[in-house]
Amino acid sequence: MTAHPVAPAEQVTIDPLDPERLERERRALERSWCSPPGLWGWLINTDHKSVGKRYIVTAMAFFLLGGIEAALMRLQLARPENALIGPDEYNQVFSTHGTTMMFLFAVPILMAVGLYFVPLMVGTRNIAFPRLNLYGYYVYLIGGVFLYAGFLLNVGPEAGWFSYVPLAGPEFSPGKRSDIYAQTVTFTEISALITAVEIIVTAFKQRAPGMSLDRVPLFVWAQVVTAFMVMFAMPWVAVASQFLAADRLIATHLFNPAEGGDPLLWQHLFWFFGHPEVYIIFVPALGFVSSIVETLARRPIFGYPVMVLALVVTGFMAFGLWVHHMFATGIPQLSESFFSAMSMTIAIPTGVQFFCWIATLWSGRPRIQVPLLFVLGFVVVFIIGGFTGVMVASVPYDVQAHDTYFVVAHLHYVLLGGAVFPLFGAFYYWWPKVTGRMLGERLGRWHFWLFFIGVNLTFFPMHQLGLDGMPRRVYTYLPETGWGPLNFVATVGALTIAVSVAVFLVNLARSVRGGTPAGDDPWSASTLEWSTSSPPPSYNFHLIPTVQSRSPLWKQAPAPAVVTGLRTDMREILVTTMMDAEPDSRMRLPDPTIWPLVAAIATGVTFITLVFTPWGLPIGAVLITIAFIGWGWPTRKEHELQLREEREA
Amino acid sequence: MTAPVRALDVSRLPTTVFGHRSHMWWGTLGFMLIEGTTLLVCVASYFYLRLNFTSWPPEHTLRPSLVWPTVHVVVLLVSCIPVALGDRAARRLDLPALQRWFVVASAFAVSFLFLRWQDFLALNVRWDTNAYGSIAWMTAGFHGTILLLQVLETLVFTLFIFTNDFEEKHFSDASDSAFYWYFFVGSWIPLYLTLYLSPRLL
Repeated sequence: MTAHPVAPAEQVTIDPLDPERLERERRALERSWCSPPGLWGWLINTDHKSVGKRYIVTAMAFFLLGGIEAALMRLQLARPENALIGPDEYNQVFSTHGTTMMFLFAVPILMAVGLYFVPLMVGTRNIAFPRLNLYGYYVYLIGGVFLYAGFLLNVGPEAGWFSYVPLAGPEFSPGKRSDIYAQTVTFTEISALITAVEIIVTAFKQRAPGMSLDRVPLFVWAQVVTAFMVMFAMPWVAVASQFLAADRLIATHLFNPAEGGDPLLWQHLFWFFGHPEVYIIFVPALGFVSSIVETLARRPIFGYPVMVLALVVTGFMAFGLWVHHMFATGIPQLSESFFSAMSMTIAIPTGVQFFCWIATLWSGRPRIQVPLLFVLGFVVVFIIGGFTGVMVASVPYDVQAHDTYFVVAHLHYVLLGGAVFPLFGAFYYWWPKVTGRMLGERLGRWHFWLFFIGVNLTFFPMHQLGLDGMPRRVYTYLPETGWGPLNFVATVGALTIAVSVAVFLVNLARSVRGGTPAGDDPWSASTLEWSTSSPPPSYNFHLIPTVQSRSPLWKQAPAPAVVTGLRTDMREILVTTMMDAEPDSRMRLPDPTIWPLVAAIATGVTFITLVFTPWGLPIGAVLITIAFIGWGWPTRKEHELQLREEREA
Repeated sequence: MTAPVRALDVSRLPTTVFGHRSHMWWGTLGFMLIEGTTLLVCVASYFYLRLNFTSWPPEHTLRPSLVWPTVHVVVLLVSCIPVALGDRAARRLDLPALQRWFVVASAFAVSFLFLRWQDFLALNVRWDTNAYGSIAWMTAGFHGTILLLQVLETLVFTLFIFTNDFEEKHFSDASDSAFYWYFFVGSWIPLYLTLYLSPRLL
């Protein structure tokens, strides 16, 4: 046997519109790509759309739980000396709220939108490594359930979402609360890292022929930049959380100053992840905004190369900011100056993108529909957060505002403005593709305005509360402080947000029950996901398209070619070259199997056992090895199919 | 889109490809970057904690021994030879040669388990003695998980290539396995220098 030479794809002219042949192919694809029916089929389904939807639904459930915790905090703080929840519960509530929103909601949902749409936008049939994708979801789910099991059993995290030592160390946080935090972080990191690798490989190697790098949609670029940031940032917190677990479980001294350890080491490790984390949440949202602006302005995005460059520069610069979270720790002045300057400089690439969107809208014919309303809301709210960000980037100001409600106001403006507004916009924009039905425009407008007013009502007064000296993470305050009225306003705002989210849920329910059918392309958009049916079939595209422009549904040659010759009797995808997306090889994706679930349970047992005993490590090594052997070993059916293909090839 | 009338026929493209043309190679590269970053975090923490001590290792703590860790490094480097030959055999789709070299690689893999145990002993400090001991154990431990993964993967894969379930596409997997092997050996060198030599120099 010899290795196959590179066989260039041959361009031939046929008549693929022969209806009989098309129908035969479609049926074969249907058979090869569908999952078995019933619960079993659901448990093993490796379709990226199914896994993406599960991530989104699960993350939204955690969003609601995190929202309930937020509402509890706001009710507690509505008036001075309130006694709704006590200090110990309050610690757990705010820590679980932060951990939920950052690790279980924001990162998973923003990447999950990528899991669903990156393969559709690049014109392929599934994500790279589909079994791993399913495994990642189950690991994430186990992590989330684990955190909430702890929370409900009064063992929820208690030292904030950044879990500073020594507060989270063995001395000041006895019991298992901080261990549950540490291992929850590990679960979510595994899942995010897996997703990152899949998105990069899909975007680099599975693009439809002709989609060279300069034709990749900005949404996909944003997901790729995010994925790289995840790969280089998340290992820091994964290692840090294991260090913390080790200090607590096997008496290492990494953060113990009495034996030469260093609490500030935790802060460095955490924020080296934690600051890029903010951009890991923000950058995918930039991709949503670019998609929505381009479609609803009805013109290609202004300044595409600059937009790509701005995303990449943001990705790099995000790693040079972490110490601005530590200005109050007494670091050398030179470091302070450097990180202060970097924190202000990162506003430049973001500003560039804002100007490009404004130019796109200015020179287009914008339709002010709900997705665009949320984009406009994002511009206003995020810019306010950006301004206060530049303020706290200044060391003298930061030292004043540190640990006050000013920072709470800033971070919520940035995260709600930078991620949740675009996310809601994305819901309205892509919901028709995912479900085949439109969301109600009228309810959407109610949702938008209630949310916009609610966010500002909740968080704007917190700037003043911070300036008045109200510290973060206090469960109550005295009437003499004078903080009561503004806190009451913030609580009214939080309830307004709750109402807006309820309106959103009603809108979703009404759409599912009897929303207007969407058709393939309700927005007359430009990217490939709109060229297939709504919802897309299990194989995404009956005929894999080829691409000749950045806006393939707007600007194509009169008769764009389609790909033929991929096998339809098995799950085969086309692999293309990284730069120019030229056809390079065919690859068979594995069939669905139960092993990802088994492996996820083995992973779950490992890390949960590690909360209690170091024996979790050897036990886990055995369990995970067994699961991965089962995973990798081909089944008889797979083996025969593969041999048949190899013979024919 | 306009109705398609032309087609790009890809039926003659290969299904077994190697190196950067293969999906698995990219996936492996991705996980190398992730694992490489975890090791970098350990090294960064090691030198960060160094600043808290006047002497390194701290007073009353023995310096790490050099003999076994150095033997281990040499064995690791030598192990790359059969692995590289196995990689070449895979690229020629030469199954008997692949089997031969992976058996040799498996023997090396088993020896790593013993040698890593010696690495831990050679630190001459317990993980709960002081922060120096903690970070040294954690660093060797994090690389130890990569080592364990590599050993298990090599043993299982070697068994697999002797079964009838072996398919042509697995030649590419063998090549990617070799790719990961180089990473796992290469990433230990800076850790060896950090853990065993730097205490003699700093």
